[in-house]
Formats: sequence, structure tokens, C-alpha cells
Amino acid sequence: MRDIAEVMEELKAAPYTEREVCAPHTGVLRFSDIEEGARVSGFTGTWKEIPGTHIATITREKNPCKVLAAERGVLQKLYRDLDGSFVEAGTPLGVIRHYLTRQEVVSKLLKESLYAFCAPERAKYYFVPDVDKKVKILGCRTVSIHDGMELFIVSRMKREAPLCYSGPAGIIYDVYFDQTKNVDAGSPLIVVCPPEQQSAVEDVVARVQSEWNEGE
Amino acid sequence: MNKQHKVLIANRGEIAVRIIQACRKLGLDFVCVHTAEDACSGHVSLALELGGEKSLYRISSYHDANELLSVADESGATAVHPGYGFFAEDFRFARRVTERGRPLVFLGPSWRVIRDLGDKINTKRLARSLGVPTVPGSDRPVYDELEAEKIARSLFDFQMQQGIARPLVLVKASAGGGGMGIEEVYDIDMFRQVYRRIRNYAMRQFKDEGVLIEQRIKDFNHLEVQVLSDRSGRHPVHFGTRNCSIQSTGRQKRLEVAPGFDPSSIHYDFDAKALLDEIVMHSLNMARKVGYDSVGTWEWIVTRDGHPFLMEVNTRIQVENGVSAAISRVKGKEVDLIAEQIRTGLGEPLGYTQDDITFHGVGVEYRIIAEDPDNGFAPWVGDIDRFSWEEHDWCRVHTHVPPVSKENPYTIPTEFDPNLALAIIWGKDLAEVSANGLAFLDKLRLEGHDGKGEALKSNVEFLKKKTERILRF
Repeated sequence: MRDIAEVMEELKAAPYTEREVCAPHTGVLRFSDIEEGARVSGFTGTWKEIPGTHIATITREKNPCKVLAAERGVLQKLYRDLDGSFVEAGTPLGVIRHYLTRQEVVSKLLKESLYAFCAPERAKYYFVPDVDKKVKILGCRTVSIHDGMELFIVSRMKREAPLCYSGPAGIIYDVYFDQTKNVDAGSPLIVVCPPEQQSAVEDVVARVQSEWNEGE
Repeated sequence: MNKQHKVLIANRGEIAVRIIQACRKLGLDFVCVHTAEDACSGHVSLALELGGEKSLYRISSYHDANELLSVADESGATAVHPGYGFFAEDFRFARRVTERGRPLVFLGPSWRVIRDLGDKINTKRLARSLGVPTVPGSDRPVYDELEAEKIARSLFDFQMQQGIARPLVLVKASAGGGGMGIEEVYDIDMFRQVYRRIRNYAMRQFKDEGVLIEQRIKDFNHLEVQVLSDRSGRHPVHFGTRNCSIQSTGRQKRLEVAPGFDPSSIHYDFDAKALLDEIVMHSLNMARKVGYDSVGTWEWIVTRDGHPFLMEVNTRIQVENGVSAAISRVKGKEVDLIAEQIRTGLGEPLGYTQDDITFHGVGVEYRIIAEDPDNGFAPWVGDIDRFSWEEHDWCRVHTHVPPVSKENPYTIPTEFDPNLALAIIWGKDLAEVSANGLAFLDKLRLEGHDGKGEALKSNVEFLKKKTERILRF
């Protein structure tokens, strides 16, 4: 485990990220009345059911699609000159300067300090059905895994193959993949916490909760 | 034909390349789309080269109909070619394209035809009503495990009564296609396990857990009849038969041959010519009955004793259309079935009858794929840094892989089917096409490396081995 204090100091020294807001679809763009420098909020609520700040609307085939801020921060740039034009998917629309949340800090710490099982290749990943059900109903921390256990289904080019977990035994502490999206080779799929480290990890989480002051 | 039409090519890769070329041949303007993962595909560079920047748009997904149609409006497209896969057999998409505020021409069958024939189950019902033989099994998707088990039991019992020593049942994802989501089952205990696996797979991949259960006919050949009709739907013609029996272990086609059998050089235990005539006749009868009005393929299973069963109808252009075109002449001239599909789809009458279509020689299509045939045909993913072949007048290669080198490799996207290229080989007879095919494969160079530095794996050796067995039952 890396020294938590050291990692925390690193994060405190650089607590911001700059994230580009891109057009999710191809269509006609209309910005909302938001201006550069405005504070925006991301999705909030227990189930992230409260939408983020409305930045723009893309209309394709008469179907409007709102472009919402994905996270809290300050709208540093907004490319107003695109207003009213036909934009392609992926076109940058602006930049949000985002202050790391407690949850993001915890996630970064866990990735650095726990055993991360990474995607061996770029593909979509699913848990095997039994594990998937347990993760969805009871949460990932109720799932104990061990070396050699068949844990994932790897799907690429519509072909599926089983993938066994390799690493220390423990519980799945966090999940980093979305079943609908491709995961790049080398990106963590899960982090695993051995039973003997569990209390230490919980201490870290508690420390972040108390020490990390969510800025802007 | 009205040359003012502009075709939106709602597809990617090799088929997009071929549709661009067909549009150019017909003097039509076109517009292409691509996703971020496909930025380096050959269809993107060809669109830019032949149509300029205004002929290319980036979209988020080939599955987003809203985006495709907004691109159509923005670019002034008047027709949509769906290629194969994606929206090609989606009758709702075809209906939407033709019935929206600014209607476009859907370059495929009319949506009613797709609805009636594009669904394996509807096709089976229609075929049975016309006395066309079909494979015994369910004629609608099954969602209930108990019902599925009942059907499977009855199929096992039926085969036992017929004296089949080792009965087999096939479990298929109803919404699947292209050989995906199909497994065979030997007994009822195994059936439950496989049923659940296919149901879960179908849910993940197609968002529909409906499953079909059919008798698995072992020891068969997979034949196809290539049909074309104009918008009148009254006078369908055929471009012969194809044999697509050489497949991967996952039942995906790897090598196709036209015609479907060659009784002039191979002995079959049944009257092969009569059988080919029979499946062509049934296919055209069905096409006439539904007013089929585009290109389409009737897929058949033929048992060793020469009994045909209709499997399904593909209401679209097939990957392997080129191998039928390679052996066909219309009034003595070469034919391009994609161009014919566009031409007739835009309202031109066919302009010829079956008597004007003649057949010459044998054609073979190789699907060149980065995969490992020794490991269940697992797709290989990595960078291609060498891809070359010898040019001949008996060979055509269709590919979306752009020119590559060690310094400028092409990364295979993992999001799509793994086909890299199609090579279509022609010979005046079976012996000549086999020799040409082997000569082509010998000179083919396909090299690359994956992230771990391991060399590219391909199916070229598999194709060579299979070339020796083509059209033999």
C-alpha cells in the first residue's frame, strides 16, 4: 500500500482536472444561456438522478438531446462560435475546470493502494451472471473472489470468452467498468481488498471523508 | 436514372468502400459516415479522396438512426444505402426513412417486405404456407424456459422416431445473425444449461432474450440463392447459387463458392442439378409471392441425401454478393450487384430477364480475417503493418484496410466484425479456380503485431486447406 499521506499531499497540490465537454451526437447545436466562468454542477442525488447544468442542446432528426455538465466545476471555456451550426459527434464545445470530489479522491487512492485487476485487452467486460446478480442486488463488496475464479465475460467483435481472475483473494472493493463501453487494455476493471487490509482501507476512506475539503 | 440522387452510406468498412465505388460507377454523389474508432478506415480515406470533406461526417454510432438521418438532411442526401448489418434488415428504420417529413429512398426492399421476410420466424411461416420445406422447430421466439424445454423434448423424440442415432437440437438467439449466438445440444439436461447461456448472451448482445429451437441437421451443405428484383416486385431474377458450407467453428462463413454444386466435375449422391433448380424455383416463388423488390438471399440447408430446407431470407445485400457476380453476365456483360441494387432501388426497371443472365465458370470468395483458427477462431487484435497481394485479372480484393507500413500501421478496431478483406477469385472450372485461389493465397502477405509483440494470426492457412475441398459434400 502506498503511503496515504503522500498520495493525499499530491492530490492536494493538484486538486483540479480540466475536462472537455464534447458533442455526444451529430446534429444542430444550440447553447443554453450559460456563459464562460459560470459554475456548473454535475449529476447528483443518490442515484445520480438529478441532471447536471444544461450547457447546450443538439437536435438531430427533430430529437433534441441536452448536453449536461457531467461534473461540478467552473465553465472555463465555451466555444460560442459553434452556436447554431451542425456539429459532428466528438466536437469540443467547452472545458470544465473540476475540483476533485471525495469520492474521486477515494477512487484514486484505492487504485493506487489496492490490487487492481486490469483489462488484458480492449473489449467490453461483463461479470459472469451469478456475480453480476450479486453485485447489482447486494453491491460489489459482498463478492469474495480468489485466484483462478471465472469472474468475467470478455466480449469483442460479438465473440465472448470467459476470463478468470488472477491475483490475491479478497472482496471486490470497487468496480471501474461500464458494461456498455469498451475498456482499454491495462485499465483497471476492479480493485480487490484482501480481508486483512479491509480495516486499513476503511480508515483511509474515513480519513478522506474528513480531510478532503470539496472546493469549488 | 435520375443522376441528381445523393446516397447516404449508412455503414462502414469494406461494404462502404464498395457502395462508394458503385455510386461512382453510376455517376451518383454520396456521403459517408464514420465513428471515432473508424477514423483510419479505408472507407474514410476513399470518401475524402473521391468526395472531399463535405462527403464525410463523424457520428457517435452506426446504430444511431437520428444522427444518420440528420446527416442525410445536412448533406442533402436523397437515398440511404444500409449495406449489411446495422439497419439493413430493420423494417422500422426502412419505414422511417421513407415516411418521414423529408422522405428518402431506402436502397433495400420496401419495409413491408423486410417485415415479412426479414424475420426468421415470419419467413418460416410464409414458407410453410407455400409448401417450401423448412427445418423442424419453433416458429416464433421462445421466452419461457418450460416451453423451450417442451419444444426441445419433442424435437429429440421426433429425431429418435426417424431413427437418427444421435439427435441434436440447435438453440439460437432469435435476434442474432451471422452465426452468432448459436449452440447445439445433445440431450435435454444439457439443453437447460445452453438455453440459459444463449438467453443471457442474446440479452447482452441484442437486448432481446428470445430464443429459437430447431432440429440440428448434421452433415449438410449451406446453399444460397441470389435474387434481384426491381421496384415492381413482379419479375425477380436469380444470379445463381452459392455454397457457403466452409465456416468457422462458430458457424460463420469463411469461404463461399458459386455455383452451389458442380455436378460436371464432382459426383454427388443425389441429382445436384435438379436440387439447385428446385431451390432456385422455391426462392423465386417466394420472392414473387411477397413482391420482393431489391437484392436478397434465400438461405438453404441441403442434407447429404439431397433434401433442401429453407433456413431464412436475408433481405439485404450479402457480404458474398461478389462471388455470384463473378460468374454472372447480363447480356454478356459483367454485373455489379451493389450497383444493380442502387439502380433498381432508385426506380429504374430491371431492363433484362432471366434469359439475359448467363453463368460462366466458378467463383470463390475468401474472407481474410485476423483470427486464430487453432483457437476456436478467436479474433486477433493489433496493428497490421504489411498487407499485400498479387494483382491478376481473375482476382478482385475488397478491403477497408488502408495502405500500411511499419511506420504507418492500421489498428484493427475491436468494436466491429473482424473481416479485413474479401478476395474474389474466378476460374473457368473448379480445377482452375482452386489453382488460382491457392496461387493468390501463397502470395498474400498479412503481417502485424499485437500489444504484447506477438505476430498477427490469420486464417490464410485455413483457407488454403479448405480450397482443396470446395464443393465436395
